[in-house]
Amino acid sequence: MAPPAGRRIGDDFVDDSDSDVSITGLEDEPSRTKSKGKGKAIDRNKKDKGKAKAKEQPYAWEASYTRSWETVQEDEAGRLEGAVQDLIARGRRRRLLAPAAAIRRTIIRHLVLVLDLSSAMMDRDMRPTRFDLMLQYAREFVTEWFDQNPLGQIGVVGMRGGLGERIGEMSGNPQDVLKAISERHKLEPNGEPSLQNAIEMARSSMSHLPTHSSREITIIFGSLTTCDPGNIHDTLDECLKDRIRISIVALAAEMKICRDLCEKTGGQFGVAMNEGHFKDLLFELIPPPAQRAVARAGGPGANPAADLMIMGFPMRLPDTSPPSLCVCHSQMKSEGFLCPRCLAKVCDVPTDCDICGLMIVSSPHLARSYHHLFPVKPYAAVMSLEDTPDPSKRCHGCSVAFRDTPSTMFGAAGEGMSPLGRYRCPECHNDFCTDCDVFVHDVVHCCPGCGK
Amino acid sequence: MDKPSHLSVILDLSPTQWALCAQSANPTGITLQTFLSQLLAFLNAHIACKDENTLAVFGAFPGQSGMLYSSTGEITSARTESTDANTYRPFRTLDSTLMTLIAERLESYDSTTEEAPIGLVGCLTKALCYINRAITTSSSSVTEIEGAVASVDPRILVLSVSPDQSSTYIPIMNSIFSAQKLKVTIDVCKIFGAENVFLQQAAHLTGGAYVQVERTDALLQYMMMSFLPPPAIRQLISVPTQDRVDFRAACFCHKRIVEIGFVCSVCLSIFCQPVPVCSTCRTKFPIKTLQRLRDARPLAAAAPPTKPLAPKNGTATPARPG
Ligand SMILES: [Zn+2]
Ligand SMILES: [Zn+2]
Ligand SMILES: [Zn+2]
Ligand SMILES: [Zn+2]
Ligand SMILES: [Zn+2]
Ligand SMILES: [Zn+2]
Repeated sequence: MAPPAGRRIGDDFVDDSDSDVSITGLEDEPSRTKSKGKGKAIDRNKKDKGKAKAKEQPYAWEASYTRSWETVQEDEAGRLEGAVQDLIARGRRRRLLAPAAAIRRTIIRHLVLVLDLSSAMMDRDMRPTRFDLMLQYAREFVTEWFDQNPLGQIGVVGMRGGLGERIGEMSGNPQDVLKAISERHKLEPNGEPSLQNAIEMARSSMSHLPTHSSREITIIFGSLTTCDPGNIHDTLDECLKDRIRISIVALAAEMKICRDLCEKTGGQFGVAMNEGHFKDLLFELIPPPAQRAVARAGGPGANPAADLMIMGFPMRLPDTSPPSLCVCHSQMKSEGFLCPRCLAKVCDVPTDCDICGLMIVSSPHLARSYHHLFPVKPYAAVMSLEDTPDPSKRCHGCSVAFRDTPSTMFGAAGEGMSPLGRYRCPECHNDFCTDCDVFVHDVVHCCPGCGK
Repeated sequence: MDKPSHLSVILDLSPTQWALCAQSANPTGITLQTFLSQLLAFLNAHIACKDENTLAVFGAFPGQSGMLYSSTGEITSARTESTDANTYRPFRTLDSTLMTLIAERLESYDSTTEEAPIGLVGCLTKALCYINRAITTSSSSVTEIEGAVASVDPRILVLSVSPDQSSTYIPIMNSIFSAQKLKVTIDVCKIFGAENVFLQQAAHLTGGAYVQVERTDALLQYMMMSFLPPPAIRQLISVPTQDRVDFRAACFCHKRIVEIGFVCSVCLSIFCQPVPVCSTCRTKFPIKTLQRLRDARPLAAAAPPTKPLAPKNGTATPARPG
């Protein structure tokens, strides 16, 4: 299920989590990684990431630590330094191989992720428990989803104790969504799930959305029962009317109502057979629906949904401004957004202006994906300073001093790495340190020297 | 202020803009000299607040950017400083390093040629690189102490006098997103000139303050009251909040700042007029859409390309009929 072009798992976010996992094991051996210079810097960098991750995952068994030993191996001398360098070097090489202009098709998507928090989720048929696995995959899902759908928004609803529970408001910021599902102790499963309550809650949170946008509900369902206050088929009809697409990943077994919900609304239904299959089913829901249709038709060139859309970028009013009526709910409010065409005040973006029909979006949402369009050229590793007449003494990014003498590399691991710890921008010919090389390409996406 | 905090200051040092600022009568302008003396008082206050506080100063010069001072000693002034028994030594080091470097840099500019736009993006990215390294280093030296990363509490203060450069829209947005990722707050102090759309978005998206200085003679007071307390304390005191945030973007074709744009659904490139082919991803758009948009165009074109900011007031919003 690869999208037509380019960057995918293994880039950016997902890669981050990958390397975190493989490093958690390393943290236990600080004495063995007796490294100097670059090795240390990298190690430190990675450890730091590992720690940040550790905060999100309070329990050791949540990380699949077993995997770290598949990727990290000791060298002949029994040291790990080579392996760490190798990890970094591989990251560098991957960047060099990545297509220069990876472009992906996007539409405006809105998704409510419904998590089953009923007692059935404590079942241990999936390691460590269905619940822990669901949280882990949900986090990975959210990061990857935002990477592929930068204009999208995700809300999170939980099902427990027979009620729907709003866990995260609709948000276009991945950090907000991840934060909502990061605290495990607040999501402790109990009681029965209620499909109807959860779907109704999800439906109401998507009622204001613009007509161009897709509305989707993705349910991770571990239970075999649902405890509903009314007739769930009425809810299904309402969803059909609102053109909401429901997809369900079931962890236990197939239920008739689940299959009906998905088939009638045009969503996907699947029952996970094991951990890997669960992830596959969930991640199949990441590419935009139109793209899935194209991929199924097998024509990567054809792009029937490509279109030019007219959009307005609003002015946001602060909550200290004099209150006025909004056009969407007719309520007195201070904060809001002004439509750039007719100056009507709406409560939330993205939305269609109720007065003039213009689609109003916040431009930072669009800009979040631009680094895919204009990536920073990979920096070249500087092997020796013989060709450089007047080498800079300090990193052009963070002003840290470069070392004068090259460090020795360990075997083939150092391939693509500079022995001097210098990486040069092909555009502006400034030198950068290892930390900045990684930071500029993975986070900032803009060269401090030439601004490209 | 129990936790040490890091402050990166970005100085807009465009000679032309400062000359305009000094001549300006309404609002009353301020000369670069006066500004720098007030700035030094503010910077000294920051390092005096707490012994562990760190400071870095970056200068955005026409077409260039560079670090001017850092409390961790990356930049040293060539001139040996004379010791003065009446001045606290760190103040003296800061003042002399900063003033010498600014003077050196500004003297080298030729006032006859047209001035290049200032290197704001370079400064922002350098400040981010510096903070990234500071965070990485501090968390490893203070190993195994929970929250070591948070204790740096980094922020960037941009002191701006130049107008928006729409050609730097994408790099600035990328910097904003990385600041968000590093949990860096970006504060903006606009000393002279019109509102700055991109810097407004920067402050808004990173939870910082955007302050338009109305009385330049009170600049020091503005800075002390709004930008001296680190973000952790701001919740307790009331820092001037942003009046309104302008979410306009720059089009890819002419680098014009637009409020209504035409957006490619594939790559989300923004254009200021309907185009048959997306210049970024080469997607061809259906003829039907183009005709529809061209027909609708008079409406869009009727809106002025740049929005007059002042008269539009949120109170004048029409209520929905029915
Ligand atoms: Zn409303
Ligand atoms: Zn409108
Ligand atoms: Zn560096
Ligand atoms: Zn460069
Ligand atoms: Zn244009
Ligand atoms: Zn395009």
